[in-house]
Amino acid sequence: MKKFLTQFRALLWQALQVEWSNSERWLSPLLFSATMIILFVFSFGKVEPKFLPQLYIAATFITAFLSLQIAFSRVLEPDMQDKVFDQLRTYPISPSAWFLSKYTIVILLGVLILLPTLFLSNLFLNEGPVSFLSGSILIIGLLALLSLGALGVLLSTMMLRSNAKQILYPLIYFPLTTPVLLSAVESSHAVLVDAKVLSDLMSSWLGLLVIFGIMYFTLCLLLFGELVKPE
Amino acid sequence: MLDIKLLSFRYQYKTILSRLSFSAVPGEILHITGPNGSGKTTLMSILAGLRKEASGTIEYKLPNGKAASDRRDHVEYLPAEANALFGKMDAMSNLRFWRGLRALEQSDATLRAVLKRWDLDHPLIRENFPVESFSTGMKRRLALARLELSETPCWLLDEPLYGLDTKGIETFQTLLDNHLQGGGITVIVSHDIAPLEKFPVRRLDLLKEVKA
Repeated sequence: MKKFLTQFRALLWQALQVEWSNSERWLSPLLFSATMIILFVFSFGKVEPKFLPQLYIAATFITAFLSLQIAFSRVLEPDMQDKVFDQLRTYPISPSAWFLSKYTIVILLGVLILLPTLFLSNLFLNEGPVSFLSGSILIIGLLALLSLGALGVLLSTMMLRSNAKQILYPLIYFPLTTPVLLSAVESSHAVLVDAKVLSDLMSSWLGLLVIFGIMYFTLCLLLFGELVKPE
Repeated sequence: MLDIKLLSFRYQYKTILSRLSFSAVPGEILHITGPNGSGKTTLMSILAGLRKEASGTIEYKLPNGKAASDRRDHVEYLPAEANALFGKMDAMSNLRFWRGLRALEQSDATLRAVLKRWDLDHPLIRENFPVESFSTGMKRRLALARLELSETPCWLLDEPLYGLDTKGIETFQTLLDNHLQGGGITVIVSHDIAPLEKFPVRRLDLLKEVKA
């Protein structure tokens, strides 16, 4: 257990240092997100107030999804240089510690992108007196992020080992993320349009979102070890 | 002891290594030789755990004679065409990271003592100076410093002298001498054999082995 924690700490600290030393890596998805929101605002123009919640949900989730996809696809880039990834595979590293460190950094990056996206969407798209940005929406966003983050780490690692990375990533990532996005969008719709509380949604869309989160996290944790084994 | 029995490896339809058996013993260098494309680097990557052998066994035997459950605990690999360093991080951060993965203590004094041996202990070099700005030889010296700091008994070195100047080669010889004197195992692939002549070397010619 001590070795696991030491390795987890070393891998996480290194990843944080790399992200910190190269701010372009997290700044680009963030700027992309802000640009998308502004484009949505201009393209929608004046909208009837009753449609604003739907537009908020659509614009926010599309923007967050694409920005996160950019960030996730680049999360293992530092390991690709100078054969670092191969060297890591020759070390006696616990695959779980390795996965969890990458997962943590992905979630941190995700939060860094998701929170401003939710805030900017509310700022630019909400013309009414009541804020769309609530604790419920934040929880739904974070739950979606937990699922997407696990998939992001697994698929990025898979792509490192594959010769067909340009084709495989979109082919696998988008179909797998569809149920997560659908659950998040439907849950948000129920909260913002139908004025439901989260506890009412546990037996429907929100429950599905939680199940997918647990399922993807467990699957990705188990499969990651297979990806770093000898070829 | 690193014990290899009947090791075979195929790449698609081409047999690269066929029923190869040998041992690398403490205090001795096992020099893998053969022409380009004979499978030297492939063999090293299999021993390091990067590639899976088609058949055969690879065992790292502990002093008590039992096979280690994970030989990566005892083996450090230095690849030929790379140094496996994070370019955006400085020398000290790189060494701390790799030591941390082996759960070894990471005191600055330990790291600096080794960096000093490799002429990398200057304050403007060791910290706040990204490794990507190092010269080829400096990067190789830092990779060799990591090798020394791994505290592993078995070293797999693929062209370790690449990019080293005369002083670097002398430091490498001292490092190797200490390692062998301490009962370490070394498997080397190198076309530059002169620096190895002063050591007890056993040769394994892959071309002969494959033909046999």
